[in-house]
Amino acid sequence: MTVTHPVVAEEVALGGGRSPAPPGRPPAADVVGRLTRPLPALLLVGLLAAGWQLMADASGSALIPGLGDVARNLVDIAASGALWDNVRVTLTRVALGFAAAFVVSVAAGIAMGRSEWLRRFLEPAVLIGLATPGLVKALLCVIWFGVSLLNPILTVALAAAPALTINVAQGVRSVDPALGEMAHVYRLDALTRLRYVWLPAIVPDLFTGARLGIAMAWKVIVLVEIFGLADGVGYQLNLEFSQHNVAGVLAWTVAFALVMAAIEYGLLQTLERRAVRWRRVALR
Amino acid sequence: MSVRISLDGVDKAFTNRRTGERQQIFRDFSLTLAPDELVAVVGGSGTGKTTLMHLIAGLERPDAGTVSTGGGRPRLGMVFQQPRLLDWTSVETNVRLAATAAGVDAAEVAPILAAVGLTEYARSYPSVLSGGQRQRVAVARAFVVRPEVLLLDEPFSALDELTARRLRLLLQQLWLRTPRTGLLVTHNALEAAFLADRVVVLGGRPAEVVREYRIDRPRPRSPEDPELFDVHRRIVAALT
Repeated sequence: MTVTHPVVAEEVALGGGRSPAPPGRPPAADVVGRLTRPLPALLLVGLLAAGWQLMADASGSALIPGLGDVARNLVDIAASGALWDNVRVTLTRVALGFAAAFVVSVAAGIAMGRSEWLRRFLEPAVLIGLATPGLVKALLCVIWFGVSLLNPILTVALAAAPALTINVAQGVRSVDPALGEMAHVYRLDALTRLRYVWLPAIVPDLFTGARLGIAMAWKVIVLVEIFGLADGVGYQLNLEFSQHNVAGVLAWTVAFALVMAAIEYGLLQTLERRAVRWRRVALR
Repeated sequence: MSVRISLDGVDKAFTNRRTGERQQIFRDFSLTLAPDELVAVVGGSGTGKTTLMHLIAGLERPDAGTVSTGGGRPRLGMVFQQPRLLDWTSVETNVRLAATAAGVDAAEVAPILAAVGLTEYARSYPSVLSGGQRQRVAVARAFVVRPEVLLLDEPFSALDELTARRLRLLLQQLWLRTPRTGLLVTHNALEAAFLADRVVVLGGRPAEVVREYRIDRPRPRSPEDPELFDVHRRIVAALT
């Protein structure tokens, strides 16, 4: 049984000094800020569209179609079902390739971040991967793997992995070694360390790497679909190009850009906000 | 289980990466902590206090000699100078991860958080807490694992004096529930006298035990105890 000294009871009951209130509901200013956040980006898009239309009107050339033509093509491919069918195919390929790159890159990045020897061993491969043009990767995968699903998956993985790996390694190197000592003292197992120490600590670098990796993936998937596949957004772009339909090319490009924007704003930024929510709470 | 800690003939040196100079921290150094004894180590900067703690925690290995912690690897509870919390997960999870890794039932997290006065912050991120509250989370984490050895590395030195005083009292309360073998490293001679059974003064390079003081005052102790002030004065005299 604990014997409590009167002085002890009095002093401890006072608590630990400053006691910030637990976080409550976000203020109204936060909601307004959230609603007005996309306005600058939308303004830029509006200005670019207006500029394009002016250019189209001034040139009167079929090579620079007006916004109306592009919109009509977009509606046509959407109404025919081709838009969704091909976007889905391309997205699936990117998702599978990126997932493969993610697994390999996180493992390799953590290894490179923690071991100087492994960093020296793997770094040349990562740098070669970063420096090799996406076109070369796409061509080689088409030659080696033909029309199989392995072709786009491997191309996307090869394109996305180097940037992701180097960012994960950088993130791991910047993790406070004091947390590693804490994990050692309390004997946290490898899985717990990965989930609660390493991954959360490298979240900012992980998202930077993911953005770069996905950007590379979009570029190479279009190339692979142009060179070696019979469906997907890249294939459709090539088809419109061969028919000299510039409005069709632009319609697929706009559709592709909309999908990328949806992934960036709807998925990546949402995930990132959730992952670093603790920082925003700390700043309130 | 009560654990005896022995350092026998320990050598430890570091190489200064910048200058390449070899710094001998310990040479043939020996120290024993009896079971359930709380020993405080005081000394000036660079006398090897933290190295001593790291050797016992297994964060450093001796170049020669042995560090024995009861034949196996005892369960450690450690409070560092900075709380070393996982800022991206809740207070409760920070404590629970240590408990689970030590094989302690997660149901014991809530009582220990109540003991350190943080029940209402269990689901908060550590980053919203004050320095004193964060250190209380670290104390809860150290005690929830039912440590066989408790290591306290200047645990309150980064806090203001009033908060540090409250946490010393809290630590004493928790210690009284279940005494265990412990090492407290501190610059604060009064903190050493208040918490420890024995105070060891380190000095020199390589470090050696300059003086030892046994503190026979019964617990719970009061920080106003004049005899502790007397011990404090003698420790400070030995340090200077």
